[in-house]
Amino acid sequence: MKQTLTQSMAWLHTWGGLLFGWLLFAIFLTGSLAVFDQEIDHWMQPEIQQTSVSSAQAVEHAVAYLQRQHADASAWNISLPSARMPALRVTAGDRRSGISTYLDPLTGEPLVVRDTAGGTFFFRFHYSLSMPRNPGIWIVGLAAMAMLVALISGIIIHKKFFKEFFTFRPNKGQRSWLDAHNASAVLLLPFHLMITYTGLLIFALIYMPAALDSLYKGDFAAFYREHIDVMEEPHQAQTHPAPLTALAPLLAQAEARMGPLSGVVIEHPGRSDAHIEMRRVLGNRIALTKGHNMVFDGVTGELLAGPPELRPSVLAQRVMFGLHFAQFGGYPMRWLYFVCGLLSSAMIATGLVLFTVKRRRKYVTESALGQQLYRLVESLNVAAIAGLTVACIGLLWLNRLLPVELAQRAGWEVRGFFALWLLSLLHAWLRPRLQAWREQLSLAALLCLGLPLLSAISDGQAWGDSMRLWLEVTVVALGLLLAWSVWRLRQPQMQHSERRVRPAQAQVN
Amino acid sequence: MSKANETTQAWPICSRVLAGLLGGYVFTYALTAALAQLLPLDRVDALLIASLLSFSFYTLAILWAFAARSVWRAWAVVPAAAPLALIGFWPHLLERLA
Amino acid sequence: MMTAFLGSLLLAYSSMLALCQGLERHYKQVWGRAPTLLQRRVLRGVGWLLLVASLWGCAQAWGWAMGPVGWFGMLSLSGLALALLLPYAPRLAVYAPVLGLPCWLLLYALAG
Repeated sequence: MKQTLTQSMAWLHTWGGLLFGWLLFAIFLTGSLAVFDQEIDHWMQPEIQQTSVSSAQAVEHAVAYLQRQHADASAWNISLPSARMPALRVTAGDRRSGISTYLDPLTGEPLVVRDTAGGTFFFRFHYSLSMPRNPGIWIVGLAAMAMLVALISGIIIHKKFFKEFFTFRPNKGQRSWLDAHNASAVLLLPFHLMITYTGLLIFALIYMPAALDSLYKGDFAAFYREHIDVMEEPHQAQTHPAPLTALAPLLAQAEARMGPLSGVVIEHPGRSDAHIEMRRVLGNRIALTKGHNMVFDGVTGELLAGPPELRPSVLAQRVMFGLHFAQFGGYPMRWLYFVCGLLSSAMIATGLVLFTVKRRRKYVTESALGQQLYRLVESLNVAAIAGLTVACIGLLWLNRLLPVELAQRAGWEVRGFFALWLLSLLHAWLRPRLQAWREQLSLAALLCLGLPLLSAISDGQAWGDSMRLWLEVTVVALGLLLAWSVWRLRQPQMQHSERRVRPAQAQVN
Repeated sequence: MSKANETTQAWPICSRVLAGLLGGYVFTYALTAALAQLLPLDRVDALLIASLLSFSFYTLAILWAFAARSVWRAWAVVPAAAPLALIGFWPHLLERLA
Repeated sequence: MMTAFLGSLLLAYSSMLALCQGLERHYKQVWGRAPTLLQRRVLRGVGWLLLVASLWGCAQAWGWAMGPVGWFGMLSLSGLALALLLPYAPRLAVYAPVLGLPCWLLLYALAG
């Protein structure tokens, strides 16, 4: 008897889903948290206050400070305060590796702000698993391909796609887990397909450089120059000192053209070849406008390059990126992405749990190796789902508990994150299955519910501003959800399938 | 061997996984390059469109590796890649033939 | 913006509800009896209309470029909310829009 398409796709969906499910849950959960990366950053830097200061004033303070402290730097980078990120930050030298200082936007004086991994950690983990850039990106790409394969194979095998569109039958053990998996997968299918595919597209030329190799012999710089009008750097053989032009009118011009600004870069300040780049806040349109800046001459103030006009294919590409980055549409859109992302993570989790629920009775009679492997899968489920949740909320706790003066503090926060996660795996292996779930979910719930108390005690005041309040309210709401799930795990009907098993084997985890 | 036995034997599974992941990648790479050359568009547009579609091709190639009736058929993606690679990377040879 | 957002959400949920009630198994789940053919057709027709209306509402909130993106999100979330509510509180699931509408009207009046 030949295997049908449904059978082969079911096999692929099950095993591909299991092998990559743990990784995909982590990618989806951290991705959902990354939607609010700047808000989490802000919560993790309680020294920074929300102030309302005009961009011109902020730039004035920033330039004055940079002039005093780093007059001969090769570049100045100014991150302007915005609605989502109230911090004013200046960097002398290269943006990533230069000397960074936070300034008070009102006074222009340097602020001492704790070194933290921030919400940015979730963003970095999401696309690179906190690994060195290339291996991490490749592994995430492989996981994303597995997700696509799982989605399409899932559609192929789901015969009652429309009939069971709204079907969810709780309290029926395996049937309920399958319903939950189907409902969350089918109803959010546009989101799943969109977010996975657009995610792959962001690094498309790394994953699949075929077209670049074929048309440009792999020369990315040549492609970059052709696809967007890039300003050629005017080369001055000899540069001499020249005063920096007034920035306020340039700011006004840039804001009129591009909307609110997120930052200013001044290359070669105080020299004749200075130029000024204005970055806009992302989100006026779906298309991701990262890197599409206005460039001015630093001495004369003349506009050298406007925000580039995008040809249709490039615009389409940027819209695809934008759909994944979710910087557009204001807070309502951001919340939609956040909730959809969490539900996607839940969808993956239901799949992982369904795998074990389906095989629970069968594995009682399997060989010793089979039982150990099954035990491993159960433990990995607990660690990947509940353990990761503990680690994520744990990162916020570490942010308040680690001493502020600790050197390399951000690194220690990240180490703490991974330590918590590893401990959760150990715990899951050692404890019986249900206890492992209950204990880890309870810990996550407690950490979530206790967050406002933690910040009140450590900061000496309650939340501090509206953004932190919203974050703490959300975390408490998630804590309540986790607590409810723990309560559900106590229900007797979860155990009803055990009654047919001999009492001695009912202890098998 | 019949496909019905396959799910319990290691070699056919490994073979299909490799056919899907590696063979599928080779096929997709060749197809994307060929498409980039064949599309009657500007270089930039052709590159972007071909790259955009590439992940759909790869997904289908992986599904094919498991849906194919036999392990041999699963590996068909590799020989199928050959003419595509020719179009993608040696288009001048084809122009001489045409 | 919030008025349009909440209004579209209400419309999205109502459309999912109508389409769902147009299916025999879910109509039975709530009312205990099978729907007539006419009822099913009307429910589905109304469902599709409300669907389109919610797309229009999203476009009012975000414009026609971002609107469809938000629309898909709203449909998915309201569909899932409905699927989760039905087994636990079927009558609530059905009457929720009836309760939601006056609240939204109040908001609309206040927003001016």
